Amino acid sequence: MTSIRMTRRAALAAGLGAAALPAPAFAQSAPAKPDRIVVNASGGAMANLFRRTYNAEFERRHGIRVVDTSPVDFGKLRAMVESGNVEWTVTELGGQDFVRAKQMNLLEPLDLSILDLSRYPEAVRDTHVFPSSVYSTVLAYRTDVFRDGNHPKGWAEFWDVRRFPGPRSLRNHPVDNLEFALLADGVPMDKLYPIDIDRALRKLTEIRPHVSVWWTTGQQPAQLLVDREVVLASGWNGRFYELAQRGAPVAVEWQGGSAKQNAFGIPRGTRHAHWANQFLQVMTEPRLQAVYATELAYPGLHPDTPNFVTDAVKPHLPTTPANLEKQFWLGVDWWTENGQRAQEAWNRWMLRR
Amino acid sequence: MSSARREAGLLPARPDPARARERVLVGLALPALLLLGVVFVWPLLRLLSMSVADGSLAQFEKATLDELYVAVLWDSMEIAALVTVICLALAYPVAAWLVQAGRIGFLLGMFFLLLPFWTSVLVRTYAWMVLLGRNGVVNRTLRDWGWIEFPLPLLHNLTGVLIGIVHVMLPYMVFPIYAALLRIDPDLQRAAEGLGAPAWRSFLRIILPLSLPGVFAGCALVFVITLGFFITPALLGGGHVMMIAMLIEQQVREFLDWPFAAALATVLLAATLVIYAALSRLTGGQGHAAR
Repeated sequence: MTSIRMTRRAALAAGLGAAALPAPAFAQSAPAKPDRIVVNASGGAMANLFRRTYNAEFERRHGIRVVDTSPVDFGKLRAMVESGNVEWTVTELGGQDFVRAKQMNLLEPLDLSILDLSRYPEAVRDTHVFPSSVYSTVLAYRTDVFRDGNHPKGWAEFWDVRRFPGPRSLRNHPVDNLEFALLADGVPMDKLYPIDIDRALRKLTEIRPHVSVWWTTGQQPAQLLVDREVVLASGWNGRFYELAQRGAPVAVEWQGGSAKQNAFGIPRGTRHAHWANQFLQVMTEPRLQAVYATELAYPGLHPDTPNFVTDAVKPHLPTTPANLEKQFWLGVDWWTENGQRAQEAWNRWMLRR
Repeated sequence: MSSARREAGLLPARPDPARARERVLVGLALPALLLLGVVFVWPLLRLLSMSVADGSLAQFEKATLDELYVAVLWDSMEIAALVTVICLALAYPVAAWLVQAGRIGFLLGMFFLLLPFWTSVLVRTYAWMVLLGRNGVVNRTLRDWGWIEFPLPLLHNLTGVLIGIVHVMLPYMVFPIYAALLRIDPDLQRAAEGLGAPAWRSFLRIILPLSLPGVFAGCALVFVITLGFFITPALLGGGHVMMIAMLIEQQVREFLDWPFAAALATVLLAATLVIYAALSRLTGGQGHAAR
């Protein structure tokens, strides 16, 4: 919850700052139209969906072509901004990078006279970072191995190899795993931070012989479950949703899930900041967010979005209240502060044989 | 003969045609060398300078003394050496066969070598995951044939990583050896046979020594490029195999700690150069003899 508190503070500060300034009279006169803008995001299925929803709507509204590029690359963003050769108009910010991107002054401030976030939850409003959607790292299992609701309900049971035997897969990364280990060790969800790295790694040592694959890419855990390489895995909820939609015997347990926001920002020094804000404004459109949520299970944060989603889809979304109360919010601030130290401890732990 | 006489002062001094030819060659290579200087050497120097940007050697201290990085560097060298040996064992017969193959055989061999060569490494890595998994094509087939009872551990371990990297690196070994074998005068072997040498001896005494420059070039290429792999070991190793490039990538992309990444890269470069020098000294003599 720490991250939410921080962003709220930041949002408050921004609000005060805006109030102190006179309203710009020229806000309505848009600058000249470029023939295209560049939107950088994760690619793959997401790029296809972007083209059909946000990109198409932006092109229709403004008559400016949207070119999409991928992948999301923090190093490249920094290099672009520092060299002054900014190719992207808007970019997605991966994982927990958005806090550091802002700290390192790599982002333009959002122009809230174009981008209307007034109806967004106050907790996620920010001066530089647009909260595009919510996703969660959750526990997934094979429904043909664990039948009739008899599957691990939370991480303590994921760790219980006697009651729930079979190979498992976790991400080859400390983020989420340290939290999951602490939850398995009996730490309550609101007491996870600051993380006790040693305690978490000790708990992970218990499960380690049963983790046959430490995954690297988001598609791996889904594939591993489908191929029966493993029977339990952690992974991003959208990947498992896609499998379940295609009829694969895979389901998700929300208990102990690690929820977080996906973020977009405007690289500092971009040539078309105005149109970048306009593009983000298109991304706030609840109807389009609903299409996105229905196809990928990554819901946007506009409060009206759930009204456009069918009841069949709601149980698969991390933001549906019944699901949200079972999860914790990843401590973005802790990870920003301690990420490198945790990664090194993780690498050392992985190397121990 | 004439050059020996000229050296002995028997012929009047004339512009040396060999020297002139060398000068033309250097001139021809100049644009490429300039390009390399601008787009390779210069960025490399800037990267190296980043590692000492704060005026201290602290980054190097960590990169060379911290057991984590030393252990991973050592593991990477071992994996690169293993890949090199396996590639050599597989590539030499293929290259030897290509040299004497007919037109159809040659085209077919090139097709099988080059088609995967032009395919994205990521795609090939995923393909191996489908083939080598516990319930993958290979294990299922072997089980159907009754050869094995339990699936072989081919993926998510060192075996998987070696298979994946060797597959990518094989052409880098085949082509230099093929080129070296092609240059060998077939009359030499015929002469050896005419003088009564059995095939194995003419291979050991003539073909093998004359192909060593190709072998060396192939080994150097494979070893050096393998040290830089990060996505293949990450995916096929299932987290059980760590290579130095994976750690460098973490520092570059995730933590933006470029000074430390630069120090790690410099240590890797230095270690590579030392091994390269040692290898070239080892095979250097034969290398010159073949020219």
